[in-house]
Amino acid sequence: MSLFKKKSKEKIYTRYSGQANVHAWKGVVERLSNPEGTPDVLDDILVLDVSYGNFSGIIAASLFAEFGAEVIKIEPPEGDPCRKMTPYGRNVKGVGIPFIFEGRNKRYMTLDLQNNPDDRETFTKLAKKAAVVIEAFPAGDMDSWGIGYRQLSEENPGLVYIAVTPYGQYTTKAEEFRTFPDADITTQTGSGLSAQIGDLPSEPEPYNWPLKAGMWMGWYISGLSAALGGTVALMHRQLTGEGQMIDVAGMDAYSSMTGFPPSIGYTWENSRPRIGVLDFILYPYGHWKCKDGLVAIAAPRDHDFRALLKIIHRWDLEDDYRFTPDRIPDIIEQAMYLHREIEKETMKETADELTKRALTYSMKAARSKWRGGGVPIVMRVMTPEMARQQKQWEIRKSFLEVSDETLGKFTITTGFAKMTESPPKVKWISCDIGKDNAYVTEKYLS
Amino acid sequence: MKDFFSYTSELFDPSRVKDKPEALKGIRVIDFTHVIFGPTASRVLGTYGAEVIKLELPFYGDLWRPATYWGRYWKHSNPIWHYVTQNKYFVSIDLKLPEAKDIVYRLAKDADIVLENFAPGTAEAWGVGYTSISKINPNIIYLSCSTYGQYGPMRYFPGWDLLAQAASGVLSLNGFPGTDRYFKLPDYLGDFFPGNLGSMALLMALYYRNKTGKGQYIDLSQTDSMMRALPHFTYQSITGEAMGRVGHTDPAMVAASIFKTRDARFVGLACATEKQFEGLCEAMDKKDLLQDKRFSDYLHALQEKNAEELRSIVTDWVKTMDCDDIIRLANEKGFAAAEVMDDKMVCEDPWRRERGSVILFNDDMYGELAMAGPSAMLSKTPARTKWIARPLGYHNRYVLMKFLGLSEEELDTLEAKKVVGTFDDKPGLKPPVYYDLEKDPLYNYGREVAK
Repeated sequence: MSLFKKKSKEKIYTRYSGQANVHAWKGVVERLSNPEGTPDVLDDILVLDVSYGNFSGIIAASLFAEFGAEVIKIEPPEGDPCRKMTPYGRNVKGVGIPFIFEGRNKRYMTLDLQNNPDDRETFTKLAKKAAVVIEAFPAGDMDSWGIGYRQLSEENPGLVYIAVTPYGQYTTKAEEFRTFPDADITTQTGSGLSAQIGDLPSEPEPYNWPLKAGMWMGWYISGLSAALGGTVALMHRQLTGEGQMIDVAGMDAYSSMTGFPPSIGYTWENSRPRIGVLDFILYPYGHWKCKDGLVAIAAPRDHDFRALLKIIHRWDLEDDYRFTPDRIPDIIEQAMYLHREIEKETMKETADELTKRALTYSMKAARSKWRGGGVPIVMRVMTPEMARQQKQWEIRKSFLEVSDETLGKFTITTGFAKMTESPPKVKWISCDIGKDNAYVTEKYLS
Repeated sequence: MKDFFSYTSELFDPSRVKDKPEALKGIRVIDFTHVIFGPTASRVLGTYGAEVIKLELPFYGDLWRPATYWGRYWKHSNPIWHYVTQNKYFVSIDLKLPEAKDIVYRLAKDADIVLENFAPGTAEAWGVGYTSISKINPNIIYLSCSTYGQYGPMRYFPGWDLLAQAASGVLSLNGFPGTDRYFKLPDYLGDFFPGNLGSMALLMALYYRNKTGKGQYIDLSQTDSMMRALPHFTYQSITGEAMGRVGHTDPAMVAASIFKTRDARFVGLACATEKQFEGLCEAMDKKDLLQDKRFSDYLHALQEKNAEELRSIVTDWVKTMDCDDIIRLANEKGFAAAEVMDDKMVCEDPWRRERGSVILFNDDMYGELAMAGPSAMLSKTPARTKWIARPLGYHNRYVLMKFLGLSEEELDTLEAKKVVGTFDDKPGLKPPVYYDLEKDPLYNYGREVAK
């Protein structure tokens, strides 16, 4: 499926497109699209990831690795339990798929910190040379083994020590729930995400239950939060030489990323219900069935909404007092009525046809002197498999075909940010337990 | 040696946050962004001490100012806009006028970071894109946020969070398999997650500039960002199958699902290790399951049929238990469980209040508001809230006079030409009714105000 079957002049759907410095811009794009061989920001940073049974530690470590840090994943001889967390148990030689996906530019070393005092000593030596330590043991365990922030920072005051747990490193509850394990699903439920995703209360059980986001949204938020906090600490370290301790609690993930739950709970003194396919602020802002699948449509501003009515040939709804101008979906039945009316029309067309109409309309509106044209936006709802086929991502080199001796051939996503000087990159993927024991010993311990 | 939790509670004491240093003090950010994606990237920088100057169109302002959930305003403001705009300077200038561009260029001279999320091409066309700003300040770090990126055949496609969710595959993953219902991720996660990745990219660029003196341009697409979090592509390339939707379960962890308890509450539950599974079996008083071939090892128990059977065993058990008992047992026996927390529960949770991940902020203009705290607690340079959103153009005088040294007369001329302006009488843009702006020293910077 491609919207661009033949090479043609680039179409412009927005109002402003003239470029001030065309030549300079071409040079910028040239550099953005060729990340190979660019410098690594963190080429002087050693990261030790000893996180155990918690993917957010692994994700944080990956983000540092993509920006060029030397990341050593340290795990006991039997491996991090995260290796086995994989959809439907599908694996390559015992390694789960999410673990492979995050095996970016990493070194692997075996040390049994939970049981072996000698290994703790080796770790202490390594940690003297490290800029970042990431751990996910129960709060206080590392400390009780003599390798916590308190002890390590004495010898290495510049150390950035990141701890990831469900309830954090301080507070009464953190102490009471010290050994509580972490999981993506509990991070989603406990931080406020699941409460907002799922069908209307009027639907039958279990379809009206809170849902899990189909991706590891909880763990990816915690992982990113850990890496982001860590990067702020690295900035401070770069300027002052001082390290610090960072505490990420999984149960904060959703709430602290969006900020919605506390402020809504406080100002409304109530909780939002689940409103199915609707949105709390915008309408139309969702997805509808069409002839060959689903389309996402966003046309929330008044002029966007009117434009949508035109392209789906439902101008008759324009002066209906229920929808103009008030389309705030607080009256669910009313919003659902409009939803069904729109669906009647989208069902008659394919996703490509609807997308084309929206783009043609936007193009005309952008050129028109009348500013009320509106930009109705339509996009086919793609599965990851369909997204994979889009020319856009081929040109942006967003996917990488990896070939590893042990793991074979597979696809990953890469280059989430394109940068002209020091972009994130994936250089290799590997997962073998203890693969780099000799390398680490020689480079850092001899 | 002090006991660990006494040590950490001192180390992270929320009451001491305001006295600690700020990691990004002295970093100046020119922020053209609006709605959520871009403003989130600058919000993170602002909470760590960067000086974020948010530019908006006079009398109109950020599109998200008036757009509150279900149309509910709080003191004539949008209650969920405060979090994303905390600690920012609100300057309102009309970029289409040449005098405004001059102001931007003067601000950019001393700035460290510029960010924008107009439709791709707009900033360049207006002469405030990277190619223009880097002429004035060659070491500038410039971030452009968009749905599909600044180059490639889809670059001019307009977009929002929803479209990134649709184009990346994220939207197609939520819902029960076998039904015709799909759900988008709530609350614009397709903006917030990429926004946080954006601030990480900006910090990396700052780190790089400190090392080399070089600035750079960053092109961040929210679709690319969401795809970074999808192992689904790898799953498909390895197994030849699509992962599809998962309903309220997690097929990657043992016994992982959302269950309904006897007291009609919902609880998420999972086992991350075989040991945790033992704990769950003990809690259910079903240790025989440990000998059961179907669940004998972790990967085996995840296989579709086995996982389904295990889930139905756990479902039957949870049905007979109250939520609090499940959580208590989870803590005792060592498996993961957490209740589905809604807005009010998150807001009132004593753990979050003690931790500082939900704070009762007391603002000079708006009074008390519960806000989320930072998503990572830093012991030495913690994030903090200093003020929340302000009316449109509130800091015009402060920024233009103090930072740029404009005189009263110059400002008058700019106001007369409508190059700079403030708010119209609209909710989301104006101050609360009880607030007397005439007496506000910041709004009236450079003027005498009555006490």
